[in-house]
Amino acid sequence: MSSQDPLPKWASKPCVMGIDEAGRGPVLGPMVYGCLYCTRSYLKELSSLNFADSKTLKEEKREELFEGLKANESIGWAVDVIDPRELSSKMLNKVKINLNEISHDSAMGLVTKVLGMGVLLTEVYVDTVGDPEKYRIKLSEKFPNVKFVVSKKADSLYPVVSGASIVAKVTRDRVLRDWALEETAENMHRNFGSGYPGDPTTKCWLEDHKHSVFGFPSLVRFSWGTCTSYFKDIVEVSWESDKVDEDGATGGSGKKQLRLSNVGITTSKRKSEEIESNAKGRCKFFQARKLEQLTHF
Amino acid sequence: MDSEKERKREVIVDFDFGSDSGAVDLSGKVHQLPCAVKFDGPCSVSQYFKPKSTGIEVDGLSVQNAYFRGRKLQGATISLPEGYYGYVIGRKSLRKRKASEESQDSSSWQVKAKFENITYWNHDTLPTQDDTFQRSFHWLTVAQALHKPVTAEDLADASTALKNMS
Repeated sequence: MSSQDPLPKWASKPCVMGIDEAGRGPVLGPMVYGCLYCTRSYLKELSSLNFADSKTLKEEKREELFEGLKANESIGWAVDVIDPRELSSKMLNKVKINLNEISHDSAMGLVTKVLGMGVLLTEVYVDTVGDPEKYRIKLSEKFPNVKFVVSKKADSLYPVVSGASIVAKVTRDRVLRDWALEETAENMHRNFGSGYPGDPTTKCWLEDHKHSVFGFPSLVRFSWGTCTSYFKDIVEVSWESDKVDEDGATGGSGKKQLRLSNVGITTSKRKSEEIESNAKGRCKFFQARKLEQLTHF
Repeated sequence: MDSEKERKREVIVDFDFGSDSGAVDLSGKVHQLPCAVKFDGPCSVSQYFKPKSTGIEVDGLSVQNAYFRGRKLQGATISLPEGYYGYVIGRKSLRKRKASEESQDSSSWQVKAKFENITYWNHDTLPTQDDTFQRSFHWLTVAQALHKPVTAEDLADASTALKNMS
């Protein structure tokens, strides 16, 4: 999903690009990174196009501006749509990747893509994620030939970033509107609302779509703290990878606790679980293959 | 809990090999997850759990993707070795008897379903032949060697081998 397939003639002149994101906060749907670029000499005209921070614009106005910039031959743009399944799974990986890293990777992916198309990027303006200076250094190290300006509220300060915010926001809204729900349960509906945790429509949707075993449809970002408030009666699920985490973190004291619980200090249910994973006294062949002889059940 | 008694109690599993006793065939529907779901009972699995083929092949396994509770699972469907079946067993349903006799039957089990393949899932790692689950099948080879009756030829072969060694 990007603009001009044939590379515009002006791309070999020094170009300026803005990068911004939409849908970082919502508990459901994709997060979208958008960029917009043009020649340095076009910047003045770009300022006259009345791009503003997408959050301050009404939906119709954003759509209108997006259609306008798509038709504008002096402007290029691209997007990176990050699926909610990807967001959740990266943040819940064995080695967890936080949202800032995912955001940085997406922004850098856009720079790589536009450079790869043959656009001569000299300056890139980015709305910051995390500490602006650290982010700027990270970007500059990866792309030494590009000057980066990383700042808070870049989307209202620089028209190229405002334009990028419109590209991102309109794309996020459209993708969510057309989202094909993977799950096929009955009584599902599409009144997602904005996706923000405080939006009453979104709250309703979450309430209507929670499931005691599966949690939520995969449109929802499971890694969001908001989810837990809907999971009061949810079936407990424990992951092998989380157990390894806990053991590693507690170190020696954790082992001690395990031994105590085997003596029978915890409930019988927990006891049986721990013996199972402990494999104490079992031959190595069976331990390595997680095999256990059951003589009663 | 009287665990000592529990341990000594005999368990009877009725496999009913002879007849096609109406055990459901669950081939293609049995999944081994890298987590413990602390729930027993029916659940709308097929509406929520949607494995997809990735087109990737590792170690001769065709990799599938699925998501559960926001986590990415990567798995593969493997056939059980020739001559083996997987069974789902449940407590034998009681014919109406006196309540006092009920406890006796709690150790009688019967086959509710069977399956010839299983899809096992790793959390966030590609399935390989080195996965514990794959390796657990090594036991079958070992068990076969241990329990195979020794024939006269086997004994003769073994003694020739011993002679050659000395």
